[in-house]
Amino acid sequence: MSNETEDAGVRHLMLRSLDRIVEEKAENAAQAADGKPGFPVDLWSALEEAGMTALGEENEGDLGLGNAMALVERAAYHTLPVPLAETILARRLLAKAGIEIPDGALSMAPPSAIRDGKATGVPWASSVTSVVTTTAPDTLALIDAREAASSGFNMAGEPRETIDLGRARIVASAKLADAAKIVEAEGALVRAVQMSGAMSRVLEHGLTWANDRIQFGRPIARFQAIQHLMAELAAEAAAGSAAALMAVEAVAERSDRLAIAIAKARTGEAAGRVCAIAHEVFGAMGFTQEHTLHYATRRLWSWRNEFGSEVQWQAEIGRAIAAGGADSLWATLTAHG
Amino acid sequence: MPEFRFEPVQMPPAATRLRAEVRGFLDEEKAKGTFAPTVGAMVAADPSFSARLGARGYLGMTWPKQYGGHERSALERYVVVEELLAAGAPVMAHWIADRQSGPQILKHGAERVKKMILPEIASGRCFFAIGMSEPDTGSDLASVKTRAVPVEGGFRVTGRKVWTSYAHMAHYVIALVRTGGRPEDRHVGLTQLIVDMKSPGIEVRPIINVYGAHEFNEVAFDDVFVPEDMSVGGIGNGWAMVTSELAFERSGPDRFMSTYPLLVEAFREIGESPNASEAAELGRLVAHLATLRRMSTSIAGMLNEGKSPVTEAALVKDLGTTFEQSIPEITRRLLPLEPRGGGNGQAYDGLQQLAQMQAPCYSIRGGTREILRGMIARGLGLR
Ligand SMILES: Cc1cc2nc3c(=O)[nH]c(=O)nc-3n(C[C@H](O)[C@H](O)[C@H](O)COP(=O)(O)OP(=O)(O)OC[C@H]3O[C@@H](n4cnc5c(N)ncnc54)[C@H](O)[C@@H]3O)c2cc1C
Repeated sequence: MSNETEDAGVRHLMLRSLDRIVEEKAENAAQAADGKPGFPVDLWSALEEAGMTALGEENEGDLGLGNAMALVERAAYHTLPVPLAETILARRLLAKAGIEIPDGALSMAPPSAIRDGKATGVPWASSVTSVVTTTAPDTLALIDAREAASSGFNMAGEPRETIDLGRARIVASAKLADAAKIVEAEGALVRAVQMSGAMSRVLEHGLTWANDRIQFGRPIARFQAIQHLMAELAAEAAAGSAAALMAVEAVAERSDRLAIAIAKARTGEAAGRVCAIAHEVFGAMGFTQEHTLHYATRRLWSWRNEFGSEVQWQAEIGRAIAAGGADSLWATLTAHG
Repeated sequence: MPEFRFEPVQMPPAATRLRAEVRGFLDEEKAKGTFAPTVGAMVAADPSFSARLGARGYLGMTWPKQYGGHERSALERYVVVEELLAAGAPVMAHWIADRQSGPQILKHGAERVKKMILPEIASGRCFFAIGMSEPDTGSDLASVKTRAVPVEGGFRVTGRKVWTSYAHMAHYVIALVRTGGRPEDRHVGLTQLIVDMKSPGIEVRPIINVYGAHEFNEVAFDDVFVPEDMSVGGIGNGWAMVTSELAFERSGPDRFMSTYPLLVEAFREIGESPNASEAAELGRLVAHLATLRRMSTSIAGMLNEGKSPVTEAALVKDLGTTFEQSIPEITRRLLPLEPRGGGNGQAYDGLQQLAQMQAPCYSIRGGTREILRGMIARGLGLR
């Protein structure tokens, strides 16, 4: 068996075992956690025991990143209310900086939201062991923020908290060139991958609904207007997932900020359209708290803003190409085959 | 649930060498003044340019050598095609023959026909047109009325085709005709015939398009003789042929790069320091383009492995034509024509105007957006 097929086999088993954990422990986890601080500890332990929380740390030519991101994508598909993406990302960043990685769930502070001694929008700051942050543009630090965080949530009811940095305890710190830029970019990569997972959930949900919901004596899937909306939803979701996948491969091979920018810009845009179409197709039922559609759509609305909205990343792409001159566009697009 | 994964393809090292070679060739051609980048290479046809491509081995690239091909991979062909489109080269003369008709004849043509026609296409001296649409037959292709009546040694064809692109340059047209049954019989009794444009009884009349160009035509057939072995895929198999053929042509770079030269010129006009909204608008287009290219190369890889990603190809065409239509709409917001005096000879101005007028056709030709979305919906299990 080649390395590649072996890797695909490992990935398949890992994703199936995640599905099983979700079935046993997390059927209604997103609902139970919605808008509450902390995260379901027994679900987290199950993930930890299955070896799913310590992945993707290798730096060079890592197959690890691909597997880790496949897991993050699947967890997002299941709308799992745990800091899995954050922990995987924080471990990666700490490994890059050569800081010893603590056990347990971790998180990181979005660098652009650190100012006036406060870090805002920090996922699960008060309930994870430690948080990765940048104390200077080229310094990565690990802090314990459990006593220094105040509560808050994103649109999806996921904890996004504010850390009073003066009150947090610095556990370790190290120089890492461009630390802030790296955290921003890798955070964007992870959110792009999560959006890909959540969009495939919305597509699946929408297809089932369109075939089940009866109006005018037939499933709404029989209406051409609905068919075309769903076709557009599928196309946007496919584009978003292709862009995210492309970035994961690029980052596994080299440092490729442009690929990340493309991924976050494209998935963010796709997410907006996917949510709008899905809600249209679900009608009033999808607009209720009782229905489960919003666990995916509210995450998409949140994630497209986090670690830079699509507009910020689009502008970065535009500036990069413009700076290289008009004729650099084609060379850039084809630089890696 | 259908899952659309656009896995990566590894461009072979030969493709990378080839890319450099093609760029060198195109630089020489541009230096000689053979062409100026045009929106949608789809407007510019230059038979002598096509012949030079043929001489360099850039046509019929994947076909067997015995038919004049070069036995290269689909990915190498992909590289050549996208380089030509990125440069805005005048590729229209040979486009249909190389992309669509040649591969079909190779797969489904009679041996004599393959030997006669394929080497000519590969040399860049033989061009094709597609005769599917008729005055009363557009999206509903199965309703064609053009008839082929069996006679000694072949058929006699009578009817009328419209919108036949580049028929005025073509050596052959592949016409979808009724060899049996009535229009009500729909998919039954249809055949694709390769008709020599020099045959007596064929008349080509130009149809001038919206921007005043002569690209498509009306082709009238009056009792035109076609030899028996000039069918694609045999008598009565026309429907299967056209549906597989259309699937083939849906995901290539020509489905999203028609207005690419305008995007490049917009970057040039805006210069090295765009403001925030210029940077975001142009960057957004780049993100779309990079993603489409990924999806399209991925499909080329699937086709190479013998898979038939029909729904994926339809997704790419839907996203791709929407994207290429959006380029002039977005660039005109950033770089309005009027204060610039419009049409003052700058590359940008000319491309901007042409792109606006050409854009509507991207989501019509080769199957409308609505028909395509219907196919995607079928792939999704909604119909
Ligand atoms: C630039 C250009 C080049 C072309 N070149 C060629 C060529 O070389 N050879 C050739 O054979 N043809 C060619 N065509 C024709 C092209 O294939 C047809 O235009 C196309 O298939 C649509 O047919 P129609 O124009 O008759 O539109 P119609 O089929 O009449 O459609 C009109 C409108 O109705 C919609 N519609 C139709 N049916 C349905 C349905 N079932 N559900 C929902 N909406 C529907 C369409 O989407 C469209 O919006 C070319 C067209 C263009 C614009």
